[in-house]
Amino acid sequence: MLTAVDLTKRYNDVVALNALRLTIAPGEVFCLLGANGAGKTTTINLFLNFIEPTSGSATINGIDVTKAPLETKKYVAYIPETVMLYRNLTGLENLEYFAALAGRPDYTASQLLEFFARVGLPDGAAERRVGTYSKGMRQKVGIAIALAKGAKALLLDEPTSGLDPKASNEFSDLLRQLSADGVAVLMATHDLFRAKQSGTRVGIMKHGRLVAVHGTDEFTHADLERVYLEHMHD
Amino acid sequence: MFSRILRHEWRLLSGDATLWLVTAVCAAAIGYGVWNGARWVRFQQQAIADASAEQAKRYDALQTQITALRQPGASVSPFADPRNPSSLGGRLGPKYATLPPAPLAALAIGQSDLLPYYFKVSTDARENIVSTTEIENPNRLLAGRFDLAFVIIFFLPLLILALTYNMVSAEQEQGTLALVLSQPVGTGTLVRGKVAVRATVLVGVLVVLAGAALLITGVNLTAAGAVPRLLMWIVAVTAYAAFWFGLAVCVSSLGQSSTANATILATTWLALVVVAPSLFNLIATSFYPVPSRVEMVQAVREASDEANKEGSKLLARYYEDHPELATGDAAQAMTDFNVVRVAVNDDVENRVRPVVQRYERQIAAQQQTLDRLRFFSPAILMQSALNDVAGSGVDRHRHFISQLDAFHAQWRAHFVPLIFAKARVTSLDTLPSFTFVEESTAVLWGRVGTGVMALLLPSLALAWFGFRRLRRYPVAG
Repeated sequence: MLTAVDLTKRYNDVVALNALRLTIAPGEVFCLLGANGAGKTTTINLFLNFIEPTSGSATINGIDVTKAPLETKKYVAYIPETVMLYRNLTGLENLEYFAALAGRPDYTASQLLEFFARVGLPDGAAERRVGTYSKGMRQKVGIAIALAKGAKALLLDEPTSGLDPKASNEFSDLLRQLSADGVAVLMATHDLFRAKQSGTRVGIMKHGRLVAVHGTDEFTHADLERVYLEHMHD
Repeated sequence: MFSRILRHEWRLLSGDATLWLVTAVCAAAIGYGVWNGARWVRFQQQAIADASAEQAKRYDALQTQITALRQPGASVSPFADPRNPSSLGGRLGPKYATLPPAPLAALAIGQSDLLPYYFKVSTDARENIVSTTEIENPNRLLAGRFDLAFVIIFFLPLLILALTYNMVSAEQEQGTLALVLSQPVGTGTLVRGKVAVRATVLVGVLVVLAGAALLITGVNLTAAGAVPRLLMWIVAVTAYAAFWFGLAVCVSSLGQSSTANATILATTWLALVVVAPSLFNLIATSFYPVPSRVEMVQAVREASDEANKEGSKLLARYYEDHPELATGDAAQAMTDFNVVRVAVNDDVENRVRPVVQRYERQIAAQQQTLDRLRFFSPAILMQSALNDVAGSGVDRHRHFISQLDAFHAQWRAHFVPLIFAKARVTSLDTLPSFTFVEESTAVLWGRVGTGVMALLLPSLALAWFGFRRLRRYPVAG
């Protein structure tokens, strides 16, 4: 579903991403681990065609994202680290707009509220202006937007940062459901525990390189942490 | 998708106090501008009506006098005798040539407060009637009065820029842009939606408010030529707005911060709207300086004195030039004051002509320079177009002056033979009268259309460049 072939991004002399080779099949949850600046966000931005690759290609559903960006964006939903919404509109109005942009203009209000219920947005919050929301609530609206889109692939950039453990746990459950429905997920995260819990594979990135890929069933959480830290020490 | 963006943008815009503030400011400025324009038009109309009443009253008195003089034994000094063609054509019976305000004159005062709109036409030398020297005005291309044209030229761009300078950068800065562009929607579509809503709102508000202000101030929209002029006005305003929207799209596409955009746009506004007109005016007046008005007045006076002194010699020369007017009785003619006066007037004109022509050549050269330079400033283009629509510009005035000249010639052609024949005028009904013939709508469309095209071409170029660049708008990194 999501494929990167020798995907490389260079800023002048700095290599942000170096020849990434990656394929994420439907139903897979691939967690990208690594320090800040390792190239996780760059990878996601390349899949979204927000930045142009220096070389190599990123494809979604077999389509090169630089050649048909509008087509590929139909299949993919994105949740950034900090979901920013239109502050003067209510949560519901925001969800309705983004769903319409995503190609789903025909949801009824009750269907939209159902998405909010699924992501655990508190009752009554949907009708309030987003300006009054906490970061966690905005994050949930972001997840609801992704759900409403019904995308075949998800690009998540530290989506649970700022969520309380319960919400985070609910999010992991959602990911498992989506995975079961055949959605391919690429998630950049620092949360090894969530990665182990909801991921099917983890990849460790360092200085723009994907240095290791493991199945999450290969080891326990403690093992994962040990492996990760080993890679982080030069 | 596009209509959904429109709805969303309208929701954001209408929920924002800026729009309502802009609308309120717009309404106040438009109302005041139109009121000012309408007041000036009423003043002009009153002056023209007064002139026409004065003339009618004078003619009634002259006719009464002519009737009275038919009585045996009635007598009057030849200078005050309306039957004397020289007196009637000169001092007693001059008629007014007036330029009535065009149907929508209230839209732009333009240069109508500088260019004289009525003249008293007699057999006098042209230079004593038509004074073209008043055109020397350092602010001719800067908006002088607070009229609707001023609101459009100065304020409309600022309002447009206030609503558009951050239309993309604000979404980038508040972080919503990434989420929007992760959906299958192009930056171009998004910006087109933003521009469409803002343009519709602003131009709509402007047209509706201006229309309402025109109706309230009592402008007759059913007058002949009012509707085509109103259409031209809407087209011109739309083209001017298009330029500023094009510029905003272009600057937005550069991917700078909101602050940087505001600085770039404000500087451009200052350069195009404030600096360029003054600069171009300076260029025109420096390259083609107009001889001093004092010099011209002096030349007219000297020529008159000279011509008067040489009165008798002149007459002989005049008869040489116009043998058909010589009655043969030369001695009688020599002493005939009236005839001498015709010759003197003619001579004054001949003497003054080189000075006047130099004057008019320089002014024409200035005007031509500005006509060419105007393509570098949308503000000047717009001012010309609005002046044309309102009929308060140089071209309609020139059209008037040429008709005035023709009328002056006609007036003289009527009286001079009578003077030479020493005939007496018995009826005032056969005297020529002046009626202004309006420029044709086609000519007007031609001039306004040129201005509109000159605004639309750079608008399209700016928009084309902007939308091309927007495809690679730096959403991240």
